[in-house]
Amino acid sequence: MQNPFDDFRNHRTREREIPLDSIIQSRDRVMSQITKGYEKLLEEEVKELVWLVQYNTVIKAYTLAEKVVKEFEYKAEDIEEFCYELDSTDKIPYLITGPAGIYISALCNYAQEEEIILKLNDLKTQINLLGYRLPVGKKVAVEGNLGDFTGIGMEGGELVVEGNAKNYTGAGMKSGIVRISKNIGLHTGEWMMGGEIFVGGRVRGLGKIVDGKVYEDDKVIYPRNYRQSNAYY
Amino acid sequence: MVPEEIIKKIWPKVRTKHLFPELPIPKVSEGRENVALEMKDKQITINTAFYDKIAHKMGVEEVVEALLDHGISHYTYCPWDFHTHLRLFREAKRVVQDKEQAKRAAGLFMDVVADTHCVKEKKTPLPELYKHIDKGKVDAVISSLYQKIWGLDLCAKEDEEVVRRLSRIPYLDKKQWDKSIQKFARVIKALLEVEEEEDRQEGNQTNPMGEHGLDGYTLEEIDQGLRNFANQNVGLKEFKETFEDFKDELKDVGYGMEGGMGRGEGTPLDADLIYYMKLAESYSIPIKKVPMEKRGFLNPHSHCPWEIGRPFQDVDVWTSFGKIMPGITQTWNKIEGSTFGERESVPDCIIIIDSSGSMTNPRKNLSYAVLGAACASDAYLRNDAKVAVYNFSDAPMGGKAILNFTAERVKIYGVLCKYFGGGTALNLNELDPLLDAAKEPDIFIITDMKITNLGKVIGYFQNINNRITAVYIGENTYALRFREAMEKKKNMSFYNVTKKEDIPKIVLGKIKEYFRGNL
Repeated sequence: MQNPFDDFRNHRTREREIPLDSIIQSRDRVMSQITKGYEKLLEEEVKELVWLVQYNTVIKAYTLAEKVVKEFEYKAEDIEEFCYELDSTDKIPYLITGPAGIYISALCNYAQEEEIILKLNDLKTQINLLGYRLPVGKKVAVEGNLGDFTGIGMEGGELVVEGNAKNYTGAGMKSGIVRISKNIGLHTGEWMMGGEIFVGGRVRGLGKIVDGKVYEDDKVIYPRNYRQSNAYY
Repeated sequence: MVPEEIIKKIWPKVRTKHLFPELPIPKVSEGRENVALEMKDKQITINTAFYDKIAHKMGVEEVVEALLDHGISHYTYCPWDFHTHLRLFREAKRVVQDKEQAKRAAGLFMDVVADTHCVKEKKTPLPELYKHIDKGKVDAVISSLYQKIWGLDLCAKEDEEVVRRLSRIPYLDKKQWDKSIQKFARVIKALLEVEEEEDRQEGNQTNPMGEHGLDGYTLEEIDQGLRNFANQNVGLKEFKETFEDFKDELKDVGYGMEGGMGRGEGTPLDADLIYYMKLAESYSIPIKKVPMEKRGFLNPHSHCPWEIGRPFQDVDVWTSFGKIMPGITQTWNKIEGSTFGERESVPDCIIIIDSSGSMTNPRKNLSYAVLGAACASDAYLRNDAKVAVYNFSDAPMGGKAILNFTAERVKIYGVLCKYFGGGTALNLNELDPLLDAAKEPDIFIITDMKITNLGKVIGYFQNINNRITAVYIGENTYALRFREAMEKKKNMSFYNVTKKEDIPKIVLGKIKEYFRGNL
């Protein structure tokens, strides 16, 4: 019996390549590289059963993250997309907020663009340690709330957060500017050695600041009106 | 004015291009000049005012073809059905939070998907149309997006950063639509807010390619869409929220309105009832078939060639051209006819449901007790039986709702969904009229058995011979007492449920058994 569809065997529908196809292919390739890089970092970091924000742990994780992100090219939009991929967790096996923040910071620091905008308003989890070692000349603008250790160890650059940040914001920062439009938590500027932190809302408590300035609603609250660490007011 | 000859000329070409969608030939109407086309009950209507405005900028046939390509792509690709429409809306709303903005975002997303699919897979003058169409701020951004992702010059230059972000969304990957529309809504959220503000100041602007309301769907499609949506692991709260967002439009298209003449405001659509109704509908139940009977008469059924020796009286003179010749002459094959026999009746059913404080409130969370009862009602109704409901909490104190035997789903679900949340007691005298109103009705009782007048209930059930199914939740002394007292009754079945999720399956399992017995 003849196959009634034989006549259509060689029929091809008109399907043309459109730029969208190549954009998506390239995006998928980059996202896969970023994800693999993160998994590589996690493989190392999960050896530490409990991930604590300690000087050595952070430096070790960042050194590895730096090495990984230098291996491929990506754009600012890829970083934002990666944040959402982390959040949805159906592709990436687990989100450990410490290494994730370090990795995203490394991605920002080595991105080609000088200004990076991350629209993270709809993120369910808050990213910690974002802005780590942000270099001079870079600006990272985040729409949404961030977690602990925002802008730690900043080396220059500008970190703008349209939202809240939690404890230890600007801890150990050497230089640069952190702008938080809403409120921040305790230990603000702990071991801060330079730079400025501008807060639009309330600062819940200051840390042990070595040097630098902290502003609350345009008023200097450190060093001019020095207050006790974590004093509630 | 759109010449009808152009539509008649273009329509076969467009239908072939889109692989013959089941749509009637498009119509023309006097419409607003800023809306190109509308779709109502599968009928595409091209607005002449829009056509007249654009026709001098590009070929007349091209305008019509482009508009039809757009309309048909929505029908054949995105959203395809009402369920997808609801899904996309829900995901958009998760991001933008505002109902109107979510509708607009979902509409724009569907436009981008449908148009991009059309441009990629078909030969279409759509890009040309987008070049000449008048656009608002958001539409201009979408045109710039098209320019980037289609690789064609559409004379659009808008917000590069937004366009760059939008161009990274995999529009043609259906599996990712839920995530994609979230990204899409996230990027255009700010623009939609500005547009909404401008609309408030300047009066309503509309999508130049037509709005994506519910007019395009038939009532059956809406029904199916809601059923699929309820089954897609959406909780009661989310279903209710989405349903409420479309409530006015559903009312406008006549969904949930009982037929018939008369006056009056009509019954308001209740999201809770619709949710349980749609969930219950998706549980499979046996439909009792009407038996077929042979009637003994032979009826012409099919033709076969006449051969020498076969009787002449069976020759079909009309197909034999008046000739008696082997190979040409056709005779009738006759078979015995069959007809519908008499239906064996399924008894009516009384559902006794506990809505005391220890049961889940069906209007706050998914109540499996109510869902089980809804499944039972649905099964009986589909088999042409009637259902009565006795919903009780502290019945002697007034915590009860009684519905006499009826086949009206909305009324049944309305009583099933009532929640009293008080103590637990039955007023057994009230069951008598229900038992008398039908011929040996089946009884389903769904409760946690913590009934204060349990002794009387046991005595009552011991004296009736109807088939009774008791589904009770959790093991407790009351349940044990009930079970021990009733164990010898052959007309009684007990099901102890530890997981509430099992109630609908248990109820349906029992119903299947009952129905098999009746077949």
